[in-house]
Amino acid sequence: MKIVVCIKQVPATTAEKRYTADFRLDRAAAESVINPLDEYAIEQALRLVESGAVETVAYLSMGPEQAGEALRRALAMGGDEAYLVTDGALAGADEWATAKVLAAALDKLAPDVALMGMASDDARGSLVPGAVAALRGMPLLSYGSELTIHDGNARIRRLTATGYDLIEAPLPVVASVTDQVGEPRYASLKGIMAARKKPLETWALDDLGLSAGSLRGAALTQVVEAKPPEAKPPTERIENVSADEAAAKVADWLAARKLI
Amino acid sequence: MSDDIVFLAEFADGQAARSALELAAGAAELAGQSGGAPVALAYGAGARAGAAALGAAGAARVIVLGDDPAPAITFAARAAAAVQQAEPLGLLAPATPNGRDLAAALVGLLELPAFGPVRTARVEGGALRTEQATLQGTVITVSQPADGAPRPAVILVLANTFTPSDGGSGEAEVADAPAADAGAFGKAKVVESHPAEAAVTNLEEATVIVAGGRGVGSEEGFGPLHDLAAALGGAVGASRAAADAGWVPYQLQIGQTGKVVKPALYLSAGISGAIQHRVGMQSAEHVVAINKDPDAPIGEFADLFVVGDLFAIVPKLTEEIKRRKGT
Ligand SMILES: Cc1cc2nc3c(=O)[nH]c(=O)nc-3n(C[C@H](O)[C@H](O)[C@H](O)COP(=O)(O)OP(=O)(O)OC[C@H]3O[C@@H](n4cnc5c(N)ncnc54)[C@H](O)[C@@H]3O)c2cc1C
Ligand SMILES: Nc1ncnc2c1ncn2[C@@H]1O[C@H](COP(=O)(O)O)[C@@H](O)[C@H]1O
Repeated sequence: MKIVVCIKQVPATTAEKRYTADFRLDRAAAESVINPLDEYAIEQALRLVESGAVETVAYLSMGPEQAGEALRRALAMGGDEAYLVTDGALAGADEWATAKVLAAALDKLAPDVALMGMASDDARGSLVPGAVAALRGMPLLSYGSELTIHDGNARIRRLTATGYDLIEAPLPVVASVTDQVGEPRYASLKGIMAARKKPLETWALDDLGLSAGSLRGAALTQVVEAKPPEAKPPTERIENVSADEAAAKVADWLAARKLI
Repeated sequence: MSDDIVFLAEFADGQAARSALELAAGAAELAGQSGGAPVALAYGAGARAGAAALGAAGAARVIVLGDDPAPAITFAARAAAAVQQAEPLGLLAPATPNGRDLAAALVGLLELPAFGPVRTARVEGGALRTEQATLQGTVITVSQPADGAPRPAVILVLANTFTPSDGGSGEAEVADAPAADAGAFGKAKVVESHPAEAAVTNLEEATVIVAGGRGVGSEEGFGPLHDLAAALGGAVGASRAAADAGWVPYQLQIGQTGKVVKPALYLSAGISGAIQHRVGMQSAEHVVAINKDPDAPIGEFADLFVVGDLFAIVPKLTEEIKRRKGT
């Protein structure tokens, strides 16, 4: 039983972000991390190894060469091997192009479960898992708050409007999990040492039977402008007053805006 | 090719979801700009029976994908068959888990450009343009399909972006989608369903939200927040810390991995305002925050920041509001 966890390297949540002249994120300028939501997918995969349901965990990332660091960090948390798809032709890839490339790489790796995070911090579409499933002709089990595997089936627990469903599909599947699977573990010093010796292979588009031409400039979308969000009016403060006075002032404020 | 704007219209328990009504209004608005027609792709329990009524919400035509309560993605092949021939300009999908699954499947099946989640979309000179807050809302990017990109452009739309209207023509023309095998997507089956014992509000529909965080301290601590929400005619929401602690169900979590809301009033108590929470509520029209820490990050982006103890202030505020409302 083999899981491939797809992880994306993203700018750290708190990092200062900069844009290039053609509106792409200047990835070299920002401090980069594993997409926080992908750490939960890693955690889920490693828990399945510990429970004996899974033998092998591999990681797959598409990104610039420095995304290799994210793969090393994942290997330090656990798992066996990693694959990086990097190619100059992939700069500025949109969700479609990302899904095309990951689908081709996953076809080559042929895992029982291709596991993803629920969304990437920078794109936030949550579209890659479903698009990859469609491209590979496989069932999708998305937004799992838990993933289990038994008798040739994968099963997720997924929140509904009021409660939850258990949804099951025969392997192989594409799945995604949320931040409810449990807090991701930290890499131990021993893990960091061990990760250095784990295999990390790099692929270019050629290795996947893809070409820059078939990916149409890596995007079907085009950013035409990037602008700062509208400035907020300054915050009004109520402090150093009694609770009675605070309550009255808040009520006045709400009433002035016809909210009560 | 057509200038039509198609939208995903989800039904559940025999009724059109709020998102279907919002997107009907959105599709009508965009179709007005493109010179095409707003067309619904209806699916889920009650879709066939309720299809014609989407006309009142703005749809000119409704294509029924199916009306069994199966996972939304099961309808992807039929949705693809329905849009493949017509090649409409755009397809609006609700930025909900179900809507995103179905949209993602279409992006893969038909290899389409995808945008969003967005709060602004329009047709300009025949081209679809969207505005999306990226990188935790630090930047707004304006995007459009690349030259020669296949149609339709798939756009994820956040809840409360468009306001439902009942100004439509009334009855919409209804047709069935071309038959198509669900393929691998049909192999994912719901094997158990566990609805909640108690009613859970859909926060995306609430116009007033009173949200509690770790500072509320316990399930009982949420009592005064429920009272305040009731006095304001609103609903209770929460931070992930409060949902993780089990004080409220996860359906009430607001933020990056919870609901993205846009109420007229969002009032928080005991929430610090972490970036992952902020992305879920920053579009609220008015933000009031009560926090005992004068330096809490939420103090930097609230409209009104009250420094003080929530346990002292919230009950007093509830009393004050009840008194003024004369209830
Ligand atoms: C991948 C990822 C996704 C996440 N998604 C979400 C998400 O969707 N939604 C979300 O909310 N979080 C999310 N988080 C978590 C987020 O980072 C914060 O940890 C969380 O929002 C903190 O919740 P809080 O503000 O309730 O708690 P805290 O940050 O602990 O803040 C509690 C606040 O209560 C105040 N307080 C305490 N007692 C009182 C009192 N008596 N009166 C008044 N004030 C008081 C304190 O001063 C403090 O500011 C996510 C994190 C990650 C890594
Ligand atoms: N460049 C990438 N490399 C590897 N995995 C990715 C990449 N982009 C997206 N993913 C996976 O797809 C998930 C959803 O991403 P998104 O559709 O961009 O929100 C992420 O959580 C990752 O697991």
